[in-house]
Amino acid sequence: MSRTIVIGGGADALVAAQVLARGGHEVMVIESRAASAEEGWTPAKVLRALELEPVELQWPEPWLSAPLPAGGRLELWRDVARSVESIRCVSPKDAERWPEFCERMAKLARFLESVYSEAPPDPLSPRFALRARRLGRRGLEDLLRILPMPVAELLDDWFENDVLKGLLGAAGVQHIMQGPRSAGTAFRFLHHHVGSPTGVFRPPRSNVIELLRRLPRVELQNTEVLHIAVRAGSVVGVVLKDGRELDADIVVSSIEPRRTLVELVEPGWLDPELVRALRYVRRRGVAARIRLQLDRSPGFSALALAPSLDYLERAYDDAKHGRVSREPYLEATCDAQHRMEVLVQYVPYKQKAVSLEGRVLGVLGEHWGEARPTHTEFLSPRELEEFEGWPEGQPHHAELSLDQALWMRPLPELARYRAPLPGLWLCGPAMHPGAGIAGASGFHCAHAILGR
Amino acid sequence: MASYDAVVIGAGHNSLVCAAYLARAGRKVLVVERRERIGGAAVTEEVFPGFRFSVFSYVVSLLRPEIIRELELPRHGLHILPLESTFTPLPDGNYLAQWNDHDQNRRELARHSLRDAEAYDEFGLMLHQMARAVKPLLAMAPPDPTSLSFGDLMGMKRLGEHFRGLGVKRFSMLTKLLTMSSADFLDEWFESEPLKATKSASGIIGTLLGPRSPGTAYVLLHHYMGELDGVFRAWGFAKGGNGSVTAAIAGAAQAAGAEIRTAAPVAQVLVKHGRARGVLLDDGEEIGAKLVVSGADPRRTFLGLVGEQHLPGPFVDSIRRFRFRGSSAKVNLALGELPDFAALPGRGPHLRGAVSISPSVDYLERAYDEAKYGEYSKRPYMDIVIPSLLDPQMAPPGKHVMSIFVQYAPYQLNGGWTDARREAFGDTVVDTLAQYAPNLKNAILHRQVVTPADIERIVGLSEGNIFQGELSLQQMFFLRPVPAWAKYRTPVSALWQCGAGTHPGGGVMGASGRNAAMQILGRS
Repeated sequence: MSRTIVIGGGADALVAAQVLARGGHEVMVIESRAASAEEGWTPAKVLRALELEPVELQWPEPWLSAPLPAGGRLELWRDVARSVESIRCVSPKDAERWPEFCERMAKLARFLESVYSEAPPDPLSPRFALRARRLGRRGLEDLLRILPMPVAELLDDWFENDVLKGLLGAAGVQHIMQGPRSAGTAFRFLHHHVGSPTGVFRPPRSNVIELLRRLPRVELQNTEVLHIAVRAGSVVGVVLKDGRELDADIVVSSIEPRRTLVELVEPGWLDPELVRALRYVRRRGVAARIRLQLDRSPGFSALALAPSLDYLERAYDDAKHGRVSREPYLEATCDAQHRMEVLVQYVPYKQKAVSLEGRVLGVLGEHWGEARPTHTEFLSPRELEEFEGWPEGQPHHAELSLDQALWMRPLPELARYRAPLPGLWLCGPAMHPGAGIAGASGFHCAHAILGR
Repeated sequence: MASYDAVVIGAGHNSLVCAAYLARAGRKVLVVERRERIGGAAVTEEVFPGFRFSVFSYVVSLLRPEIIRELELPRHGLHILPLESTFTPLPDGNYLAQWNDHDQNRRELARHSLRDAEAYDEFGLMLHQMARAVKPLLAMAPPDPTSLSFGDLMGMKRLGEHFRGLGVKRFSMLTKLLTMSSADFLDEWFESEPLKATKSASGIIGTLLGPRSPGTAYVLLHHYMGELDGVFRAWGFAKGGNGSVTAAIAGAAQAAGAEIRTAAPVAQVLVKHGRARGVLLDDGEEIGAKLVVSGADPRRTFLGLVGEQHLPGPFVDSIRRFRFRGSSAKVNLALGELPDFAALPGRGPHLRGAVSISPSVDYLERAYDEAKYGEYSKRPYMDIVIPSLLDPQMAPPGKHVMSIFVQYAPYQLNGGWTDARREAFGDTVVDTLAQYAPNLKNAILHRQVVTPADIERIVGLSEGNIFQGELSLQQMFFLRPVPAWAKYRTPVSALWQCGAGTHPGGGVMGASGRNAAMQILGRS
């Protein structure tokens, strides 16, 4: 029986721990902070294997709304027909195209779901080619054409209304240091559609992590790993912050790979070329987060302030040149208890973002009527790094761009979850499919360990 | 009604290459050109008395060596003079030069960064390998991964084997080149700003993208593909200007029996029962042909010359979606004396190569920012050559011609291009350059400014895009110009396309023309 230590407490770590425990490993999970509820979808395969239920995926209804220049709001609902009605008020032409757009995008998202339900594909294998072919001629053309596109071009191909395009385009740039006119952002748009119903282009909130924490078989320890112990070229355990040493045959880290390999492993055990490559894995945080408690309902469940693609692009321009966006893209979601979470983008990691909180609340205040915040908490990317453990404030650990996706995630030589040190394995958001697909990378990693 | 085996529309380099191959295979070929002169965008014109300019395209970098060889272009007058350096003056009075001479180059790079000097050779080797990996694709009609035909399946299989043969490391490097931004890609190799900027500049040419936009790294490769065939010195100036390149190809075509008619604008492609029968000229003359090959860009060919009524609806939609977005302009100067750069005064060897105004990646990115919102760059990127230094026949004795390639000058300028805007833009270019070469303004005898709108009007390239359509990932290979019609065929039988709007497109390469001819002749 292998003694296995899993580092980190997110969905990926917990799934890996569970799968390994069921595979006969004696597993301990070491988490330094309780993971907050995660957004994202979990492949059915993972849910089935761990018999997780009842899984609840939640989207606000409408899943997103945006103020219109002439007053009123554009509202997008799970019900495609209801969205059509709302879009019709701003553009009858766009309303007419909405159902077909949703259907074409859903088809591609379903394909990505199947790809995400397995370890990264070998792009040159006939098996992968056959699977892609199942999309049919138009689906495959859509896929190959859309993946490398800027999301702005994709949306320009379909729609004319700025508010609609801004609101959709935002899904392509969330948490990445790119604007909607950058190539590859259409892929991210699809990525954020994965796991959502047709016509919903935001990831769900899920209770998977709570379900995972309730499962037996795995010991949870709340402490911090100081480093991973290596002897004679093999991993032999971990050393904890309090000085305790724990032996293990296998260590699985869900912490970001650069930190795992360069900081937690003693230097000298790794190929310098790999260390160099790791240094260039991009992981720039670009968003700040505000959490607030309102005294009453703000009158919306989800609101995006990104009135056009140009607005997003200009917000990015500031960040590209090292500044906080003068007019940031904001997206606020509010639950039944009037707890609101606001994404504020772009805020570069190196910026202090003084006075940003006040500005954002001022802007949002125009949209929430009589509601007043009773409590607010503002976290810049730097603070998110500290409190959430996100490197440079990047929740995906490694930016999800085309060159850091699939069999390239985060680096081609690490994409199979095995670190180049016997006994050390990697999972977490930085590993395929990572980035908001809760638990999948832990599942694939555990399967690789079990040799399945 | 005269009858030919093939009538080729346009006398740009790809059309002429295609015509030459068809004629050599014994076909009776006619090339019809709208302008008074052949050459398309590769022309030499005496714009001002005594001063001859490669008005549009100005260097030869990618002309396929097999075309030079098979069409015996040197025998028809092609003579390429090598470019020896790239000189990047900097605002602080320093400069960066890259030389063909290895040791000299290393010394110069080490002056800026020892690390960069160390990395340079390895970088060159890597790109060389990548260029080798891509090269076989250039001469291939791209197989369609969505098709189940035997030919396409075999093509995909061959392609798969080719990539597999590269090994994991090289294949991932190639994927990175295709998907990364040139700025990010170069960040992994170099630290010196002017070096990164000058190299990344080659990634933005002809597109409306900035160096930090993913997808721009691939174009870096093009430079190395030119150098790859070093024996042919395929990177340099054509003696006599770029018009002599097309003149040589035309010479080869005519020697093989092709006819060329200039001042013969095509009004439409004659289509009957879904089949091309010939062309109708503006003056009403009909020319019958067994097949028609269009060297015009996809928009002009299908929406202009063929007409929607002869094409399937989804195909028309795809052609409408094909993006042009011309972003480059030319400023051609007749000079009374050579420019004197403050960073490196005098008439040194640096003037015999390219001069690049690209001091930092941020500079290029800012130039792009303005173009994104429909303004021309106030501080543009420039690639400058002085052909008269290498080829004295380009200018009167003691005088010079300077060719300035400028980016960004968006076709979709807010308010549109007017004569006043054109000249204001010309002033911006001269003012920017004069900051580095203070004597420039007084040295200018004449100035010609060519905007994307001018390129469209004069040469017929839609939106002035120099590649007949952006070379972005979603418009390349089997997606160029549209999926399922990337193999030079069109939905109209007996109508073919051979321009840069097809794979592999872009630059004075000729590969599209040759590939089209091979497909027409049934050799692939």
